[in-house]
Amino acid sequence: MIYKDYVKWDRMPTNWCPGCSIGTVFRHLTLALEKAAVPREQMVVVSGIGCSGRAAGYFNVDSVHVTHGRAIPVAEGIKRSNEKLKVIVFSGDGDLVGIGGNHFLHSARRDSDIKVICINNGIYGMTGGQMAPTTPFGEKTLTSPFGTSYAPLNIQGIVTSNARYWYARTSSYHVNHLLKCLGEALEWPGFAFIEVMSFCIENFGRRQGFKNGFDMLFKLKQDYKLNPKPDGLLKNHELGVVKNVGQAS
Amino acid sequence: MKRLIMGNEAVAMGALKAGMTFFAAYPITPASEIMHILAEKEGEIVFLHAEDEIASIHLVIGGSLAGRKAMTSTSGPGMSLKQEGIGLAHMMEVPLVVVDVQRVGPSTGMPTLPSQGDIIQSIHGSHGDYNPIVLYPSSVEECYRYTIEAFNAAEESRSPVVLLLDGFLAHLSETVDLDRVSVEIKPRTLAPLGHGKRHFTGLLAKDGVPLTKDSLYYREWYGRVKTKMLETAMNYRFYEYLKNDQADTLLIAYGIVFRVILPLKKEFSLFKPVSLFPVLEKEIQAAASGHKRIVVIEMNDGQYRGEIQKVLPREVLGISVLGGTISLKEIRERLHDL
Repeated sequence: MIYKDYVKWDRMPTNWCPGCSIGTVFRHLTLALEKAAVPREQMVVVSGIGCSGRAAGYFNVDSVHVTHGRAIPVAEGIKRSNEKLKVIVFSGDGDLVGIGGNHFLHSARRDSDIKVICINNGIYGMTGGQMAPTTPFGEKTLTSPFGTSYAPLNIQGIVTSNARYWYARTSSYHVNHLLKCLGEALEWPGFAFIEVMSFCIENFGRRQGFKNGFDMLFKLKQDYKLNPKPDGLLKNHELGVVKNVGQAS
Repeated sequence: MKRLIMGNEAVAMGALKAGMTFFAAYPITPASEIMHILAEKEGEIVFLHAEDEIASIHLVIGGSLAGRKAMTSTSGPGMSLKQEGIGLAHMMEVPLVVVDVQRVGPSTGMPTLPSQGDIIQSIHGSHGDYNPIVLYPSSVEECYRYTIEAFNAAEESRSPVVLLLDGFLAHLSETVDLDRVSVEIKPRTLAPLGHGKRHFTGLLAKDGVPLTKDSLYYREWYGRVKTKMLETAMNYRFYEYLKNDQADTLLIAYGIVFRVILPLKKEFSLFKPVSLFPVLEKEIQAAASGHKRIVVIEMNDGQYRGEIQKVLPREVLGISVLGGTISLKEIRERLHDL
């Protein structure tokens, strides 16, 4: 199987805007699947609501597109029902850690064997550009016209508060690192969470003064640095993997 | 073998008998015993104590999609939370069973006292139009039998079937011989995930491709699903009609209320629908003919009376037994005053 076989070509083009980075992550997931040689009949992709949520329908495998925030519990139900399946959640930050925050918290605690890919663009893009739980402090959005008053959610902190965890922060610019993280997540026996730092030009960037998607992509390059061997947890602008094979106690 | 068991226990045993191997729920009075009993089966079945009611219905959807007969149990407040998942299961056509052991509401209400206040919620709780099958037993033996039937109906209709109980029935202990209950058990109808290319979505979709702006297709799709539900429901028409030739009044009651008013059969005709929805239109019309008065007695403010009124072209009276206590004496007096 090559990566192209994981794509439902008759569903192309996608509904993602020109300049969007979800497609990059989608493509690299198919590459990671090819590398890990995951048979199409032994995997399921689950998505919630949002731009990233449409990804499930573009995979040429059995896929489920559920209600807002509920991708993680449906995925965990699938995995616990049939342990042979490789279950991948592909969704956005608002979906997974906003409305689905409680499920994220507890599925991580239960160390359910699902691989969660979270496209973090820091905004509710599909609904027009409202403040997300991941929107940086002070940013103006449709629902925070004077700038957000809150710090963004510390996703790494939540995942790593468990005894056993696997967390990666990567970006849609650093694609080699992205591919490596996806490959490692597919192999990890337990709850794996990849936060892919991303952007939305249409409903966030253009209001911040970005001219196009490329400018936002290069901002990722400027902002984030790889840290191959993090000492403890990743700092705010570091990309890397943190994990602990510890047992629940 | 005869055993003394209670309603909630009979539901758990019925589910196991029906072949349920996936259960996820969140504790809530008065439904928790179903969880307690099934927790002891962990290992034989997938048992999950979820973080909340929303998670439990969605875990069950995942469990069913991946190939297991699945169930969740709750009470009114949890049923309100599960509505999102129930709508999703209708849209994606996922077979599963939701048990709702009713207590007095709204909100936290009177947690330990029974009611029948979720009748309308069980059919109109989620947004949009859908036509669920709802069963409501009225004895411990029926709890067992109709749990199995609920699973059968779920498989045959490929939809979430609601099994309603009330706090009285759930905690009612009766001596029953479950070995004598024989119900044919339907096999799975949904091919499990892992076959390659299917896309299940909460969006309106045709062959896995979303069609979210096609009104004509929506009408076609809705017609097909509604017909499927109504046709399947024809195989699940359960009721009991005790005709009294001297009576001019027909009493309609379900669940524990039917048990309470059973002694009134000497003076009245009694009709007990087990299949609450779709409403047993023909059966109720036939029973109503020949009676001057129709009275629906229920532990809510006329929820099912409204549904009966829709299928009978004359006035339907009602007695609302509110606040979680019920007595035959009170009902007798109120019937006299009608």
